[in-house]
Amino acid sequence: MPCDTAVDALDLVKTYPGGRGRPDVRALDGLTLTIPAGTVHGLLGPNGAGKSTTTKVLTTLSRATSGSARVAGHDVVDEAAAVRRAIGYVSQGTGADPLLTPRENLVMAARLRGLSRSASADRASTLVDRFGLTEFADRGAAKLSGGTRRKLDVALGLVGTPSVLFLDEPTTGLDPEARSAMWAEIRRLAGEDELTVVLTTHYLEEADRLADGLTIVDRGRVVAAGSPESLKATLSGDTLSVELVEPDADLVRSIASDVALLRDVSVHVEGPTGRLVARTSDGPAAVGAVIAALQAAGIRHGAVGVSRPTLDDVYLAHAGRSWTSSDAAAKELAR
Amino acid sequence: MSTTWITETSQVTRRWTIDGIRQPWGLGVAIIQPVIWLLLFGNVFSSVATVPGFGADDYMTFLVPGILMMTVLYSGAWAGTGFIDDINSGVMDRMLTSPVHRSSLVAGQLVQQLAICFVQGLCVLGIGWLAGASYEGGPLGLLVALAASLLLAAAFCSLSAAVALLARDQTALIGISTIIVLPATFLSTALMPASLLPAWVQTVAQYNPLTWAVEIARTAMSPSVDWSLVATRSLWLAALAAVVAWWSVRAMRTYQRSL
Repeated sequence: MPCDTAVDALDLVKTYPGGRGRPDVRALDGLTLTIPAGTVHGLLGPNGAGKSTTTKVLTTLSRATSGSARVAGHDVVDEAAAVRRAIGYVSQGTGADPLLTPRENLVMAARLRGLSRSASADRASTLVDRFGLTEFADRGAAKLSGGTRRKLDVALGLVGTPSVLFLDEPTTGLDPEARSAMWAEIRRLAGEDELTVVLTTHYLEEADRLADGLTIVDRGRVVAAGSPESLKATLSGDTLSVELVEPDADLVRSIASDVALLRDVSVHVEGPTGRLVARTSDGPAAVGAVIAALQAAGIRHGAVGVSRPTLDDVYLAHAGRSWTSSDAAAKELAR
Repeated sequence: MSTTWITETSQVTRRWTIDGIRQPWGLGVAIIQPVIWLLLFGNVFSSVATVPGFGADDYMTFLVPGILMMTVLYSGAWAGTGFIDDINSGVMDRMLTSPVHRSSLVAGQLVQQLAICFVQGLCVLGIGWLAGASYEGGPLGLLVALAASLLLAAAFCSLSAAVALLARDQTALIGISTIIVLPATFLSTALMPASLLPAWVQTVAQYNPLTWAVEIARTAMSPSVDWSLVATRSLWLAALAAVVAWWSVRAMRTYQRSL
């Protein structure tokens, strides 16, 4: 049933018992989220930020400790059955039975959603064609490659012709080729009428490329929301970053803060290396000034770079820590 | 019981059946195990029948009902492993976010497990007959025995499913099954008549569902059937199966609440 808002979550809190006397884990800490219908929305955050928990609450899999949420116009607790009829969910694991073939998986999913035998067979064939699974359709799902299996997972999510499709980390673990194939698939889905795609990811590039709207989540809270462009636009000027070797964070911070061209100075230390990040309205001049200041203080440094704002910078500005330090896995993709 | 519920449940049963058929070694073991037991116990303990006070003159005839019930007990204890695989793979999450009834997920798997137990039961009766057991109770007696085995199986499959959904760990399930199943076997009249058991074991055995099922089968397969024994023990088994089945559906909800 079409309605303007696909997801409307208000002040979601989810705590898990800590166990053995440890304090409770607060996975969601007052998360509020609105997703307009017909868009691709990215929930972006490092591992453990609360993205998957949010998805579980919105798909009725898990129940929030407090707060409320409506998906496709239905309350996720009071009208859970209606929500389930309106959504598709692709979890981080596979949704497919490895002992059944892709076609059998699709037919069974359709039958479980109340389609007749012939309608289920038709639906399965349509999805097999659409996801290019024809040559694999009648082989055991266990033998599929990672990328093909993920396509099957997404196809399974679409069996019930949902109005909201949740994709939890759809490309994690895929090789670059399979990842770009999946991106093409998701973009194609987004072009379809009425379908809202809610995707969680910890890949900044994925969010940047696919999402119409983004919610950046950190420690169970929303730290920023908007389109990728508008989020980046909130950061004026360029990003300056300096690689550091065995830095004294406080010293570097105080020296850099004295450089007039820099603002929003932060220093991140990871083991023996570190990074100074700051914003500047005059990149080239700031590079000279910061190198001179560091050298005058006898601080060893590596490469110095200036770049346009990235989502990494947006995350840093809002979450107060660098993406790369929060999530090493995203490092190579986050440039 | 709506038609939707029946369709869902039969689809779930179908899925587990296909899974089972595609793992033929699992089915093979399920069939071979009771055969080995029957022949092994039948030979090793055959002289028990000569002990004064045994009460029957042929150990194989005495043993078949015991092995029948032991078989479904051991089989049932593993029933929950499929749920743990589903939890680990993500299939469970997909099921739980679809409009499928939780009770269909549990019932559909139970039906498939009972079908396996039924086939196992037929094999036990067949091999027992070949090994020389006599079935004086006729076809009706065999049917009653099989029905009793399915009631016992329903209780233990549900127990295993509930434990699987609560513990969500293969090792825990194996551990709990072992702790329950082996003592349950020896604290029953499956292998030895009550009169030859130590007094305290006799007392415990009275409350053991395995004993109830064995008693039903033994009397039903004997020339003079004690129908009141069949009725009371069946009632107890059915009540137990109903309670544990209800608990396994609850366990599905408990699992979901833990997410």
